[in-house]
Amino acid sequence: MARRLLAVLTALLLVAAACNDDDGIDIGDPDDTEAEGVLIAAISGEPDRFDPHLTTAYPSFQVLENVYDTLVQPGDDLTMEEALATDWEVSDDNLTWTFTLREGVTWHNGRAFVADDVVYSYERIMDEEFGAANAFRFESIESVSAPDDGTVVIELTRPTPNLLANIGAFKGMAIVPEEIVEDGTIDTEPVGTGPFRFVEQRPDGEIVLERNPDYWGGDVALEGVRFRPIPDATVAMTNLERGEVHWTDSVPPQQISALEGRDDIVVESVSGGDYWYMAMNIEREPFGDVDFRRAVSFALDREAITEAALFEAATPNQTAIPEDSFFHFDYAPFEYDRDQAMELLEGTGIGDDFSMDLMVTNEFPETVTAAQVIADQLSEVGIDVQIRELDFAQWLDEQGEGNFDSFLLGWIGNIDPDDFYYAQHHSEGGFNFHGYSNPQVDELLDRARAETDDDTRKELYDEAVKMIVDEVSYLYLYNPDVVHAWVPEVSGYEVRADSAIRFENVSLSG
Amino acid sequence: MTDVALPPHRSRTRDVLGVLSKNRLAIVGLVVLLLLGVVALFGEWLAPHSPTRTNIPNRLEPPSLTHPFGTDELGRDILSRVLVAARVSLQVGFIAVGLSLAVGVTIGLVAGYYGRFVDTALMRFMDMVFAFPAILLAIAILAVLGPGIRNAMIAIGIVYTPIFARVTRGSVLSVREEDYVRASRSVGASGPRIIVRHVLPNVMGPIIVQTSLSLAFAILSEAALSFLGLGVQPPDPAWGRMLAEARGFVRVAWWMGVFPGLAIVVTVMAFNLLGDGLRDALDPRQKSVIESRGHLL
Amino acid sequence: MSGYVVRRVGQAVVVMLGVSVIVFLLVHLVPGDPIRRSLGTRFDPHVYQLLYERAGFDQPLYRQYVTWLGNALQGDLGVSFRTGRPVRGMVLERLPATMSLAFAALFIGLVIALPAGIISAVRSGSRTDYSVSALSQVGVSIPDFWWAIMLILLFSLTLGWLPPSGYKSPLESPVGFLRHLTLPALSVGLISGSILTRFVRAAMLDALHRDYTRTARSKGLPERVVINRHVLRNALVPIVTVAGLQLGFLLGGVVVVEVIFAWPGLGRLAYDAVLRRDYPVLQGAVLLVALSFVVINLLVDLLYARLDPRIRYE
Repeated sequence: MARRLLAVLTALLLVAAACNDDDGIDIGDPDDTEAEGVLIAAISGEPDRFDPHLTTAYPSFQVLENVYDTLVQPGDDLTMEEALATDWEVSDDNLTWTFTLREGVTWHNGRAFVADDVVYSYERIMDEEFGAANAFRFESIESVSAPDDGTVVIELTRPTPNLLANIGAFKGMAIVPEEIVEDGTIDTEPVGTGPFRFVEQRPDGEIVLERNPDYWGGDVALEGVRFRPIPDATVAMTNLERGEVHWTDSVPPQQISALEGRDDIVVESVSGGDYWYMAMNIEREPFGDVDFRRAVSFALDREAITEAALFEAATPNQTAIPEDSFFHFDYAPFEYDRDQAMELLEGTGIGDDFSMDLMVTNEFPETVTAAQVIADQLSEVGIDVQIRELDFAQWLDEQGEGNFDSFLLGWIGNIDPDDFYYAQHHSEGGFNFHGYSNPQVDELLDRARAETDDDTRKELYDEAVKMIVDEVSYLYLYNPDVVHAWVPEVSGYEVRADSAIRFENVSLSG
Repeated sequence: MTDVALPPHRSRTRDVLGVLSKNRLAIVGLVVLLLLGVVALFGEWLAPHSPTRTNIPNRLEPPSLTHPFGTDELGRDILSRVLVAARVSLQVGFIAVGLSLAVGVTIGLVAGYYGRFVDTALMRFMDMVFAFPAILLAIAILAVLGPGIRNAMIAIGIVYTPIFARVTRGSVLSVREEDYVRASRSVGASGPRIIVRHVLPNVMGPIIVQTSLSLAFAILSEAALSFLGLGVQPPDPAWGRMLAEARGFVRVAWWMGVFPGLAIVVTVMAFNLLGDGLRDALDPRQKSVIESRGHLL
Repeated sequence: MSGYVVRRVGQAVVVMLGVSVIVFLLVHLVPGDPIRRSLGTRFDPHVYQLLYERAGFDQPLYRQYVTWLGNALQGDLGVSFRTGRPVRGMVLERLPATMSLAFAALFIGLVIALPAGIISAVRSGSRTDYSVSALSQVGVSIPDFWWAIMLILLFSLTLGWLPPSGYKSPLESPVGFLRHLTLPALSVGLISGSILTRFVRAAMLDALHRDYTRTARSKGLPERVVINRHVLRNALVPIVTVAGLQLGFLLGGVVVVEVIFAWPGLGRLAYDAVLRRDYPVLQGAVLLVALSFVVINLLVDLLYARLDPRIRYE
């Protein structure tokens, strides 16, 4: 009996193997009826829900980026450009913004897009009883109205120079049609105005989109896109090499140099706007002592930490904003210098047995890697670092309760500095869990937030950032690159600094 | 009382050693474990380099004379890490299994000896733990207690407890009605006394075998938990953790995974070989079909 | 017999109730706030409060349990915090993938274990016995995620025979289903096979030393007949027990393998639910897994009773 079973199994294996007649690039299984122009994208996580106002998951936004539109959107250089609005005007007092909407836009369900849709969407986000994840971005908005079908007026409580980024930085502020909210299908069958129509999420997790023939942005070359969640980066790369998928954003940094030499895979990267940093709990001693924080900053070799975490795919930085951005401020006062660190530490009065903990999360494995290098470097100046690796849920709890000596985290999808400098370094900031408080910085950030002249605004931020860096409110480490890989048959794809994934201009040959 | 019925176990000890010494594989297992014990005790002195010192320019070096097992993604010496990690991995194994052994055997003895309501209550409780998906149970326990090596041991220990309870209870049932137990009971010995003096020694065989097999599985469980980022906290080395870290590097630095992987295989095999040998010796008719959960699949 | 069945079923119900209490308590004891986790790094305190009350967290724990259990008994497992979808659908949707992986792995395990264990026992002490033992030791000693990666690199990347990950519904594409199933099933099945081999060998050895075997031999029956008719049949009882247990564990979700192969099973769903603190999904998934485990155990016990009429139904 056993021998017969073995024979059956062998036969099955052979059949399974023999059914594969693709050598080289042929997508999926031969028995599959997948259309030629359908791009298969491997994404690292599974989307949770598709209501853009409720989800906070990056995989959801990877899909929604191609389904929904915002009033304005970040262009290639991340300045805000027209999308559903073609033009806008700001009143002299900077409190009223009037948007002219694009004509002839239709929803994926065929209905015409009108100004009331914008009003409905924004009121939904601002509705206190609804609980939108991005409600805080609309904090300075007094009201939204639609004088006619083609015009939207936004009234503000205070001048908000970064209003466009607040309403258009990503699809969390997308315009949605009321009817899919009313019938409850928004979480499972989103209907947008974007380049692709949502078809279905299959039980195996794959998300199927098809071309929107009526797209306002012009012809879409692809017939459709399939997003396939593959959590393991090595497996995702194997899929790409095998031609099972056309595109992936999980490219292990250690493989980039090897991949770059190959002609059957295209790897491209741009320096991104994300930043990763270390924060020390200023409300605890000795971290409240500026000298201690500066000592730590001198004791760290950012080059080594950056390379350890991401190989070549990141750039060390002592401020938040990368070089090619308008708000970049060229300031790097800390040179890796152990002696200076030791000198500063002597004045802080910490004992020989001083030990601090460093909280990291395996949600972002690079923090775990970086922490080990940081711990090793700080041990050189006599600081013992205990790494605490938590899952992200617990990590957020501990951070919220101020239960940490120090932590590592990144901040992603950055467009406007108000977003992160205010939240993280203003004493009233919503993400100031490390307890930094400097009245001068507060004042500068308050002024910058309402300053409408770009150059003046940048000067205000530069001044604030100088203090933030000098006093080591955050110890900024590096900006990672955005790295994506695809097969050569894919053309027209551009890697974006904000990590948004757009397939509208992509085509597939062969 | 002893002249009424002498438990047969004492006379067997020598036989067991005799049978064991003829089992070449078991001897190999034993020798390997003794060597591992030495490494666990003196790993830090044996290690040629620091297991936590990073050296980024020197990262991912293939095996060489200075680094016989190569270096990892932070430039640390893998040989040193493998040696130092022996203690952690063996600790996880012994303490986790020790915990489930102590709790599980006690529950099994009490349930099996007293029977009836006590038996039903205890064993159904064990069933509840048993029915819980093992790895999720371990993850949940670790989430409650917080990650770290000590809590990983507790979590693994809890997961393995029902197996020991079941094995013990099963053996107790067959011993309970033996003459020497009946005899002790008839002369008025107390329950706990009978359990410790007469029942326990006679159910040790299956328990010893189960212990050695569980040690093997506990070490693999540490690997699975480390794979998910629980378990030993960095930068301390543990084989499972090293293997998990190597996962992203299989194609650029095979040595990162192969050496800690070999360490796990050798250790687990040593425990299994010894366990099989003990089983042949203690239970020559292979009467006990040892329950196995497998490792946390 | 029927009294025995009723008693075992009753006990199974008690065990399930116990599991429901344990899972509920454990889930709520785990630190890490689900609302904060779902909102992430930036949010409005007002939004937080709203969602907190909506999830019922302002109620006392026992009341939350009673509400949940009451709904669960009526087949309503609640709504996922993460997806906003009913948990029942999410869990049932994952069942086919989990079941096919579990059964395929058990199948592979038995295909390996039966011949290997039988030969090993019949030629106990021979070179074959040693080799089988050694191989099965190696099989058990390698962590499943390592098997998984090695198989992907060999069969998928190097040989290009099988897809490295993913799932196809058997209804849509039977061949695609098998092709995607093969590697994950092998990763788990090799380990199951190694474990089962040891049990098959032990059970066979036991049966080989029994009186009925000696009697059969003394009657001069050919060895083949002795093995097939007497030894194997009797050895089947413990083998069925252990195989049933293995199946139960496999259904419990092979979390790590499911993660690596992007296999849409219950294990991965439950694991994601742990990370996201998606209480309703975690509770639902664990309950379903425990239920299948308890049912399989029950069936094995009843089957055991049939295979071995000596079992007393006390």
